[in-house]
Amino acid sequence: MPALEGKERHSAIRDLIIAGLSEEIMSDKELHIETQFIHGGYEPEKTTGATQAPIFASTAFAYESAESIENVFAGREFGYVYSRLSNPTLTAFEARMTQLENGLASLVCASGMAAISTTVMTLAGAGDEIISGASIFGGTYSLFDRTLPRYGITTKFVEATDPEAYRQAITDKTRLIFVETIGNPRLDVPAIADIAKVAREHGVLLVVDNTTSTPYLFRPATLGADIVVHSTSKFINGSANAIGGIIVDAGSYDWSHARAERIHDYQKRAGKFAFMAAMRSQIHRDLGACLSPFNAFLMTTGVETLGVRMQQHCENAQAMAEWLSADSRVEETRYIGLESHPDYGVATRQFGGRYGALLTLRLGTRERSFTFLNGLKRAQILANLGDVKTLVIHPASTICREATKEQQIQMGVTPDLVRVSVGIEHIDDIKADFDDSLNKM
Amino acid sequence: MKLTVNGESVDVGDGINVTELLKVQEVKMPDMVSVELNGEILDRDKFDNTTLNDGDTLELLYFMGGGA
Ligand SMILES: Cc1ncc(COP(=O)(O)O)c(C=O)c1O
Repeated sequence: MPALEGKERHSAIRDLIIAGLSEEIMSDKELHIETQFIHGGYEPEKTTGATQAPIFASTAFAYESAESIENVFAGREFGYVYSRLSNPTLTAFEARMTQLENGLASLVCASGMAAISTTVMTLAGAGDEIISGASIFGGTYSLFDRTLPRYGITTKFVEATDPEAYRQAITDKTRLIFVETIGNPRLDVPAIADIAKVAREHGVLLVVDNTTSTPYLFRPATLGADIVVHSTSKFINGSANAIGGIIVDAGSYDWSHARAERIHDYQKRAGKFAFMAAMRSQIHRDLGACLSPFNAFLMTTGVETLGVRMQQHCENAQAMAEWLSADSRVEETRYIGLESHPDYGVATRQFGGRYGALLTLRLGTRERSFTFLNGLKRAQILANLGDVKTLVIHPASTICREATKEQQIQMGVTPDLVRVSVGIEHIDDIKADFDDSLNKM
Repeated sequence: MKLTVNGESVDVGDGINVTELLKVQEVKMPDMVSVELNGEILDRDKFDNTTLNDGDTLELLYFMGGGA
């Protein structure tokens, strides 16, 4: 099979890249989400019929002439150049996620943190402000609270579920609002549509981290989110074998708005793709937090089973929560699928009666929590969530240990709190493991 | 009239605008193409009412290709 040359090759690559953008995949948007997980954004590769997007383990891409590569750098032709910028295996994953999140275009990054930092650094600079829910993941909290201020970007933290709190924090300098769909570990559920309304009224962009709910529970773009980010290291990947992140532009924000001034130069050139163009040709390119093609392959294949996995995660977590909440050995069980949860109503409306894999337990004291964790045989003690395996951790001494006492309270972290990411093992085995260990306390 | 488009000479109908040029040149995904007219980036909002003149030089550039 002779290699394609010149124009033919450029247009083949262009078609591949375009396949990752909305207009070509529109037609598939009518499909059920479970089908999109499997078929979204990728058709068997034409030359060999391979049913999985091949891993293009190539740092750079060769051209047959100096003129040809010049044309690509100039933008006259499409072409892959260097895998920090783009790579066909990354394109395949981006195409799938664009479709799953009802977006316009996507950019994959090395991790969830890379996706969040790249997004914020593209839209804000020294002197600008962002607003964030206070009960967000500890790593993101640290980025906003400690790292970005060194570069002149400051964050106002507000009560995550109170739309008015966001409104009151808006100033002329506000560039974006950042929200997580299910706070971690507080498990609070902001009403995205209400916060989107506040954001829209003030022309502020809304960024939603959909890691803990995934597109199976909910597509934030359908309720007014302008940008959706994920740590794909969690449920998207599923088997916890690679770190990754993604940024999806929903295509809803008007980039000519004064609040998007950091990317106005790109808006002139790139119109509705201004944000993507700014990341791809400047911020992401320069920060360099790119995903490896091998990890992109693991994500694209992992997401195929997201439907059945999430269904089982939700079913198991609901059963565990109902059982534990009725058990006198546990002081408090928090799960958004329990009617006792303050955000049960919002969660039910927003997620359509499915509530995800995360629950938390209060066991009275730190010592009792440690005894419980140490007594588990199958559930693994580690700092992750969204794996097919059941995972447990004591947040106060681990993922939230850098936070002050006050911040820990905002994050919903108490000394006796245990976070559980309920896996998809047989429910009877998970219960038996917990039951034995609760008896040891 | 004659235009220079991406370094090549092309013949098009008199008085067409930039949006029409993208159409007759069969540019794929015109949303992803930026236009430089005689060395200046042209605002996307102005594609429709920018009429081209004989001898104009244009660069139609994909701003987000694999090389971007
Ligand atoms: C909600 C949420 N967002 C972002 C991240 C960061 O993602 P990563 O670990 O892939 O950098 C995590 C977890 O680590 C998370 O739970």
